[in-house]
Amino acid sequence: MRMRTRAAYGFLTPYLLIFAAFWVWPIVYSFYLSFLATRIQPWRFNPGMTWGRLVVDPAFANALKNTLIILVIQVPVMIALATLLAVLLNSQLLRARGIMRFAFFAPVVVGEAAYAAVFRLMFNADFGVVNKLITGIGLPRVDWFASPTAAMALIIMAVTWRWVGYNAIIILSGLQAIPNDVYEAATLDRVSKPRQFFFITLPLLKPIILFCVVLSVIGTMQLFAEPFLITNRGGPGGATETLGLFLYRQGFTVLNFGYASAVAYTIAALAIFISLVNLWIGRSPK
Amino acid sequence: MRSKSVSTLRRSIALHAVMVPLAIVWLFPIWMMVVFSTMPENAIFSPNIHLIPSDRFWANFNVLQGDTNFLRAIFISVVVALVYTVLSVMLTSMAGWALARYAFIGKGMVLTIILGTLTLPYFVVVIPQFIMVARDFGLANTWFALIVPPLFNSLGVLFMRQSFSMMPADLFDAARVEGVREWRIFLFVAMPLARPTLAALSIILFLASWNNYLWPLLINNRPDMMTAPVALGSLIGLTKVSWGGIMVGAVLLTAPMIAVFILLQRHFIAGIAAGAVK
Amino acid sequence: MAGVTLRNVVKRFGSFEVIHGADLEVEDGEFVVFVGPSGCGKSTLLRMIAGLEDISDGEIAIGGTVVNDVEPADRGTAMVFQSYALYPHMTVEKNLSFGLRMNGNDKADTARRVERAAKILRIEELLDRRPGQLSGGQRQRVAIGRAIVRDPEVFLFDEPLSNLDAELRVQMRVEIARLHAELGVTMVYVTHDQVEAMTLADRIVVLRDGRIEQIGRPLDLYDDPANRFVAGFVGSPKMNFMAAEVVGAENGSVTVALTNQGGARLTVPAKNGFAAGDKLTVGLRPEHFGGAGEGDCELSVKVDVAEHLGSTSYVYANTASGEQLVIEREESRSEIGVEHLTVSIPAARTYLFDASGARLR
Repeated sequence: MRMRTRAAYGFLTPYLLIFAAFWVWPIVYSFYLSFLATRIQPWRFNPGMTWGRLVVDPAFANALKNTLIILVIQVPVMIALATLLAVLLNSQLLRARGIMRFAFFAPVVVGEAAYAAVFRLMFNADFGVVNKLITGIGLPRVDWFASPTAAMALIIMAVTWRWVGYNAIIILSGLQAIPNDVYEAATLDRVSKPRQFFFITLPLLKPIILFCVVLSVIGTMQLFAEPFLITNRGGPGGATETLGLFLYRQGFTVLNFGYASAVAYTIAALAIFISLVNLWIGRSPK
Repeated sequence: MRSKSVSTLRRSIALHAVMVPLAIVWLFPIWMMVVFSTMPENAIFSPNIHLIPSDRFWANFNVLQGDTNFLRAIFISVVVALVYTVLSVMLTSMAGWALARYAFIGKGMVLTIILGTLTLPYFVVVIPQFIMVARDFGLANTWFALIVPPLFNSLGVLFMRQSFSMMPADLFDAARVEGVREWRIFLFVAMPLARPTLAALSIILFLASWNNYLWPLLINNRPDMMTAPVALGSLIGLTKVSWGGIMVGAVLLTAPMIAVFILLQRHFIAGIAAGAVK
Repeated sequence: MAGVTLRNVVKRFGSFEVIHGADLEVEDGEFVVFVGPSGCGKSTLLRMIAGLEDISDGEIAIGGTVVNDVEPADRGTAMVFQSYALYPHMTVEKNLSFGLRMNGNDKADTARRVERAAKILRIEELLDRRPGQLSGGQRQRVAIGRAIVRDPEVFLFDEPLSNLDAELRVQMRVEIARLHAELGVTMVYVTHDQVEAMTLADRIVVLRDGRIEQIGRPLDLYDDPANRFVAGFVGSPKMNFMAAEVVGAENGSVTVALTNQGGARLTVPAKNGFAAGDKLTVGLRPEHFGGAGEGDCELSVKVDVAEHLGSTSYVYANTASGEQLVIEREESRSEIGVEHLTVSIPAARTYLFDASGARLR
């Protein structure tokens, strides 16, 4: 028995060392950093330069606002679409199911750099295929990278394109875990298909959908590569600057580690807070 | 009977009326990636719509290779993803095994810390990681910097722990009664039985490493140590650049993963879905 | 060759004690069966002998050597699990040889041992298959074979037959008995099925709630149970228990009234001093009821259900009184459909228990 305990530590230790060095310690260290003024050597304790600045920095407020706008629009749209896709992909009537699944799941494997490049070309104001199609059906041309609203819409579309399949996979797996006899019983009770969806499928899927919401919230709070690459570093004029991008600038362009750490902790706190609110709203009655 | 089949037909038509256009929209960017990669520069930026691939792929590739040594970047990405996957699978399955199958002091605490910090955004650690690796250790632009820090990922620990704890305990007790050492039980009984989980985990980890953008962007800025996504991203911001070449890079980055996805779809989907099972 | 000795063995999980000091001496070559309801601690006790559970207190010795701190593999035991615990990714042959191979046993010797085990269990033609391709009975054989290969001094069986269907269970029971006769080694066998215990054991250990209730040869337990629990556990169908009140005591006998059976009176030989008004329980096995006029006390019972099995019948009677009686009768086709029956109780066949369940003699 004692031998076995020793074996357990043996199995655990290698990973734990890495985990402690590159995850636990940084979490602690970054909290400490968030109180230091790091623009001047030596670094010294001055939360006014980090947490204090956070409250009054208009650039931070702008990034926070943009992130929340994306969050409020993109997460519900994407989760609703993912649920719909999961249900439709699960339908017995669907033909060419393999191709259908491929269409929605393939973006999951496409890297950020690759899809950012394609989106930039597709949405090019003058020569992009999207504008050519829009004007082709008589609608006005959209200047995707010059208009703040259009740029924001572009980011939301891009993120939704990339991640909806990912969420649909998770929801689909939840869907397939619902035993078929539940639906058979409902059919015998003359419950129509749409009512079955709202009164059986959705309630049973709720925990999984909530899980997807939490994942998406955490993901959106950290949105970085899309505004960095697609809208060219948060353009136009900071209209798509997200918290993630703002942190990148502060941390790795200006090298203000203390301030960036305070931003990081704000992102974490917000992500956890919003997730908890979601879980609270979606809690089971009783 | 008749009315039933009519309503089924109607439902089927409605279903496909929604799904077919949506699927086309979703496939469109990937298709356009291929189309762009084969087009000459002046055709990409022309008033006409081109939806059919042309024949300039190799020409564009040569331009890309001239802009940035993309083959070298691909090579680095492959090595990093492979080594990272192997190491992460090894480390996390050992840890998952310990947490699934042994009682020891501190187990509850380890699990709590892993689960508790899982929801924290990566941004919370990225700054100290950078300070540590780049400044304190001076290891920027090294293989170590690309491979080792991301090994903290606890996905495998939870994933493997779940897999191991679902196996019948008798199996391992039987081996113990036969005098098989603990690490051999792990290696020759537990690991072979976890093969489907290992496959799913490996695919997810490989993909994550292959597409990882932020960390390699921060830690390796020397052109000869850039991974493929970073090399590609560095071109996107430039003004005077070949977009056909960038698209070739995008295709080279994406095609292998699409192939993996098609070939190993089952494991792939299991890997993503497993995240929700915990 | 070795016996197994348990001296005041205690098992605690945290502060929760599940085995409260077990003492037992298993002779070399003996077949001992641990039996008891689920949760009684029989499997825990077996796993402690195997070394899969720590011993919280007390001592376990195998072949005279205390093994408390000896690794499972070095105790000279082999174990057969309820779930068979076959490695699903290995062929039968690899399953049999796994332990030996992992411990660097000589190749030729390993092959010889596998061959011998396969021969004893008649599974030679299954060696290349995987567990998934075997039937339940075949898997069970392989599991036993894996134990034989180790050439152990003590075989440990943890409910090995409970995953088999009824017919196979009987067949494998005979196989295990044959194996014991053939190998002549010590076997400790855990089951919740008292029929398995009765048919296989040299001696039975009856456990309840982490305590040994009685140790004895099968028929001794049947004829002379130490308490109400053992009396009820051994024998099928179960012994009938009837509430009773003492109405008179004489030297060497006691007269009781059967409270729930219409107050029928019965005089039973007994040593103890009884006082009128004492509450007792009278036990009688279903097969010991007599016909009308044959015993010392007559009961007229209302038949609720009768199961006619051909050679015997089981009558379930007086359910309405809150104290159902099971009566075994020789099959008599004239009784089919009968609603009332008169039976008798032979006083010499009854057992008396006090309120705590202890046997009164």
